[in-house]
Amino acid sequence: MRQFLSSWTILTIAFLLLGTHRTTLANDFFEKKIRPILIEHCFQCHSAEAEKNKKLKGGLLLDSHEGVTKGGDSGPVIVTKNPAESLLLKSLKYQDDLKMPPKKKLPESVIADFEKWIAQGLPGLPKAGAVKKNSAMTLEEGRNFWAYKPIQNPPVPMVQSPWAKTDLDRFILAQLESKKLSPAPVADKATLIRRVYFDLLGYPPTLAQVDAFVNDPSPQAYEKLIDYLLASPQFGERWGRHWLDIARYAESVTLRGFIFKEAWRYRDYVIDTFNQDVPFDRFIREQIAGDLLEAKDLAQKQRSLIATSFLVLGNTNFEEQDKKQLRMDFVDEQLDVITKGFLAQTVTCARCHDHKFDPIPTKDYYALAGILRNTKTMEHANVSNWIEVPLPVEPEQEALLKKHEAEIARLQDLIAAEKKQVDPKTLGVILVKDVKGIVLDDTQAKKVGEWMHSTSVKVYIGEGYLHDKNEGKGEKTLTFQPDSIPAGKYEVRLAYSAGTNRADSVPVTIASADGEKTVHVNMKQNPPILGRFVSLGEHRFEKDGQCYVVISNEGTNGHVIADAVVFLPLDKPQDKIVENKPNADRLKLLETELKSLIDKGPKRPKTMGVLEEKVIEEAKIHIRGNVHNQGELVPRNFLQVTQPKPVSFPKNQSGRKELADWIASADNPLTARVYVNRVWYWLFGEGLVRTVDNFGTTGEAPSHPELLDYLASQFLQQGWSTKKLIRQIMLSQTYQQSTTGNEATLKADPENRLFGRANRRRLDAECIRDAMLVISGKLDPTRGGPTFPENLSSDYGHKTSSLRRSIYLPMFRNALPDTLEVFDLADPSMVTGKRNVTTVAQQALYLMNHPFPLQQAQATAEKLLVENYPNEDARIIAAYRLILGRLPNEKERGLAQKFLQGKEAKPAWTSLVHVLFATPDFRYVN
Amino acid sequence: MRYLFSRREWLTQTSCGFGALALAGLTHAPVLAKEHPLAAKKPHHPAKAKRIIFLFMQGGVSHVDSFDYKPRLIQDDGKQMPFNDARTIANTGNRGTNHRIMKPLWKFSQHGKTGKWASDLFPEINKHIDDLCFIHSLHTEGVAHGPATLFLHCGSTNFVRPSMGSWVLYGLGTEGQNLPGFITISPSPGNGGARNYGTAFLPAFYQGTPIGKAGATASELTIRNLTGGLPVDIQKGELDLLRQLSQEQIKRDPAESAYEAVAESYERAWAMQQYAPDTLDLTKETKETLTSYGIGEKVTDTFGRQCLMARRLCEQGVRFIQVTYGDASANPAWDQHSNLPKHADHAKAVDKPIAALLSDLKKRGLLEDTLVWWGSEFGRTPYAEKNGTGRDHNPGGFTMWLAGGGVKAGFSFGSTDEFGAQAVDNKVHMHDLHATILHLLGLDHEKLTFRYAGRDFRLTDVHGHVVKEILA
Repeated sequence: MRQFLSSWTILTIAFLLLGTHRTTLANDFFEKKIRPILIEHCFQCHSAEAEKNKKLKGGLLLDSHEGVTKGGDSGPVIVTKNPAESLLLKSLKYQDDLKMPPKKKLPESVIADFEKWIAQGLPGLPKAGAVKKNSAMTLEEGRNFWAYKPIQNPPVPMVQSPWAKTDLDRFILAQLESKKLSPAPVADKATLIRRVYFDLLGYPPTLAQVDAFVNDPSPQAYEKLIDYLLASPQFGERWGRHWLDIARYAESVTLRGFIFKEAWRYRDYVIDTFNQDVPFDRFIREQIAGDLLEAKDLAQKQRSLIATSFLVLGNTNFEEQDKKQLRMDFVDEQLDVITKGFLAQTVTCARCHDHKFDPIPTKDYYALAGILRNTKTMEHANVSNWIEVPLPVEPEQEALLKKHEAEIARLQDLIAAEKKQVDPKTLGVILVKDVKGIVLDDTQAKKVGEWMHSTSVKVYIGEGYLHDKNEGKGEKTLTFQPDSIPAGKYEVRLAYSAGTNRADSVPVTIASADGEKTVHVNMKQNPPILGRFVSLGEHRFEKDGQCYVVISNEGTNGHVIADAVVFLPLDKPQDKIVENKPNADRLKLLETELKSLIDKGPKRPKTMGVLEEKVIEEAKIHIRGNVHNQGELVPRNFLQVTQPKPVSFPKNQSGRKELADWIASADNPLTARVYVNRVWYWLFGEGLVRTVDNFGTTGEAPSHPELLDYLASQFLQQGWSTKKLIRQIMLSQTYQQSTTGNEATLKADPENRLFGRANRRRLDAECIRDAMLVISGKLDPTRGGPTFPENLSSDYGHKTSSLRRSIYLPMFRNALPDTLEVFDLADPSMVTGKRNVTTVAQQALYLMNHPFPLQQAQATAEKLLVENYPNEDARIIAAYRLILGRLPNEKERGLAQKFLQGKEAKPAWTSLVHVLFATPDFRYVN
Repeated sequence: MRYLFSRREWLTQTSCGFGALALAGLTHAPVLAKEHPLAAKKPHHPAKAKRIIFLFMQGGVSHVDSFDYKPRLIQDDGKQMPFNDARTIANTGNRGTNHRIMKPLWKFSQHGKTGKWASDLFPEINKHIDDLCFIHSLHTEGVAHGPATLFLHCGSTNFVRPSMGSWVLYGLGTEGQNLPGFITISPSPGNGGARNYGTAFLPAFYQGTPIGKAGATASELTIRNLTGGLPVDIQKGELDLLRQLSQEQIKRDPAESAYEAVAESYERAWAMQQYAPDTLDLTKETKETLTSYGIGEKVTDTFGRQCLMARRLCEQGVRFIQVTYGDASANPAWDQHSNLPKHADHAKAVDKPIAALLSDLKKRGLLEDTLVWWGSEFGRTPYAEKNGTGRDHNPGGFTMWLAGGGVKAGFSFGSTDEFGAQAVDNKVHMHDLHATILHLLGLDHEKLTFRYAGRDFRLTDVHGHVVKEILA
């Protein structure tokens, strides 16, 4: 009875809803033929239920009329009553990129049912269902979120304690006092100078420097110290490194270990920027749009061009075959580094869909992407290339370069002219053995399709040549592949004979260690070299690597000829093949002269950089981030949440200059806040906003919002000066506090969110290494310039024995400096505002077994042993002060004495220093 | 980041120093405190496999010449036919371009009780065919080695993302304390290099530890900085002094847990230094075992050593072990664009060692809870390159196999079309395979997340379905 009732109910409802018999039949069709298929194959990802379970794919709901008509990320999936044009049917038929269901094509009969169903207008499908909602913050809501509100200049709070010496202190103290807590006293002078040295220069002070400071009774001693250190050139080497983490600076890409030969110029530029205290807004403009800026002089022009390396240092996969995809991936990486680095925004989350949490619609992503898409960053090839642009030079230098280049051109012309003179002996038919280089005659070619042997044109090597009979186009190839070839660089040549019946564009593909390259040979024209060969270019081959030449007749319009392929080694000039020529000696002389001229002459300096695209255009939204599925056109713009006013962009420029101006504006609510917060983090080991790279809604709120705004407004007022900001912070009582805080404060605020004491901080990897070098006295103080051999072809397994500061170690993505890597170096493929701090066994193994700490320990021991001390105890005290920046207690002195007792001095002292390097105190700063 | 350790008592009370520790022949290294990020963690659900060995055949083994039998290729050998070639589509967008069918160069026959068709390219592996679980319908992203290799390891062709081994270590921690939890043997520096075992935004201690590098000799198969510093007696003396001096420093600020972590790291390092060389020392193995892996034979010596080392690491509880058969070139080992017969050289180098590894694991009962995963970043086309002698990359359909922990033995899943060009039936995307492997290890790929830059990241991004059909 119950069953009957329920069936009856359904029937009634069906009639009520559908009204007529006709539609009932249609409904029947839906229920029997369509709905089961939808349930089994589609609803798992395309239904209200799927959405509820967070399984919804492509934003497409197929369980309601509304959902189907509205479509998903790729737009509507049906064209009313037109199955053939409907994306739904196309994807069921697997005709399109989109193939559904993804696992297996449905049977033809089922697809035919769907075709019918669409043609009838989707009968049976319920009208309405769940509509996709957007959970992100709206733009209006966003404008009330703290990070997007204009920067305020808040009043300085009133405080009780006389502890506060600066306004900054008053902001800190106000919060502590509101919680009835007290700050920590100022650290002792020896502790303070070690902290200050590490923070400003990145290594510890010498004993003399400590003594001078500790014994200086002047109340200005500390201030003088800070000013002295801020003016030291080593300051830029410490602070530049902070920025290089954000700029994901590296000198190679992991793909095949390609070397960025010119990247060092950017590193030096960053160091100089901090040393010269270039205003931060200028620093922003140079890095984003340096090539488009006016420069007051040549030096500034050079600096600005070098700065744009910032845009291209990413770890790009230049081998991506879909170059449209590669272009947008490159843009995405640039957007990531720009928006995270300057604005602490995760804009790239909006590449495929509106940002899930922040007020950043996909439209904003493509408005920004449009700007960078107008910027040319690569020359495309199988493996695309980044761009290097020439640097302008002084007029005298330019004149020299021009003269030099003219001289090279002159010699090249002479050589070309000499080469045209042909020895009659080399004409006509010659033997294989008379041809220099590795010769593969046509008889050695692997044939695909039918090739005809011929001797009718009497210019060939060996027994004759092959032709394709001008038939079977696209079906025939010849492959010339040497059995083995010594690794090295070769000029590859193809021998053929010309004629009017020949093809004028024969595709010839050379497969080398650098991939495949196809060139087209015009066989109607006489071969340019010795009337017999055409050069197929210079190529590099590896032992057992790919090495072959394929001649195809695809798309050709005449006879395709192949006589021989020759590989001429280029690596060793003394082995260089000299042609069979009467003027061989003269030619050789000229070529030697040319090489020496190129080697010894001045070189035009270049930098990594960008160019403007020829076509300036707006970008379209890429649906789901797919480059092949483009939607609405979006005019270039900035983040709407911060910039409600419309902007006009030049029609003939990318818009990077405008982008830079918007970021480097005092009105941008994010830029100054983000940067002062970074500086605070670099000095305290924790930010006022702890998520230094994320000021979005998923980041943390500032612990002291008024202080953040106060510092940001001061920073703007002081002309975006980094040094003034650092000075302001370091002169505060807050910075100078001891790590041992007040007991009650410690208990109430274990995470030190209130900054009621100093944080004990693990030294950065660079500081650990540099400290060892400074202590041992082995530091090589050379500044700037390239740090690896010019001819280095890949970074694989690169090792360096450099004793220069860590910032000058080659930063190779496949061969990171091992000391630095083990102590949490930032991954140079990502924007890193905050490094990880880990304590792992690999660090212990490094300090125990790697030769570097041992060598520095030995040098330090030798240094200590030649210095004059009244007794061993005094020497131990000196060692503690030098290495750990403090005096040993009695127990520690006793342990060291006991260890040294009865042992040979040098090895025992080496061990003691080696152990001190390994102790926790060495790698922490108080 | 700071961790609390319950090591204080050991540090302050024990009277024997590091030296005594070693002399006493300590059999167990200190156990990691629960809070330690590398300590073994409870999986999301009971795991079928506790650890995994991934045998990476770098460059792209041809599936149609090995395990994916396509008689039509023999029938239509030499014919020109239209195909949706992945590279052509990526470069030009053109579909249905003509290519010349090339028949498999190795003879196919039926093997094992299951009568599975396989070619005689891998005769030794074929003897284990009833233990293997084939997936013939894999498809992936990236037409070139660079992107596809990164996709295989990190689930993304271009974005910098953590590698699979790092995810697994992050999710499960490590069982053995004397060795790193994620070891990659002889990784290739090419095609993504260190990114393939890197952590990206995961903390650095989840990174893969390389042992040796592609193309290096067997003697270089060691962990960095494991030895080499000082004579043992001097080092013991130093470590004793270090322990005492560290203790004094800890006393200065007892609230500072980070100092104890530093002291603890030396204990772990010392233990590692004691036990890892033993694990890596193959001379401990019987002659019979060495011979079975082909160690001592020119062709199989290198890969044999690497496979045997993988088994030894597996016994020590290393969670994720990768063995790469590759090299340092831009055209990696299996990449036969020309001269396909060269596949035989590579097959000879790996066939016997892999078969020996399977037997060895089985004999020791390890295969039950160890997952062995074999394959390349993509397959190869069923048609020839223009040169007529090789095959191009094929990300659209290819074969991988699994064995052991939690997968059906003697089973084949999914298929490519009749030419082996595209996966068509029960398609398994690389994301799906990642999800499935995580599932076997007890991890739910949707729950294994890490918050970075304001959002939760996954190995499988927003994709991936566990292939339930292959679960035992």
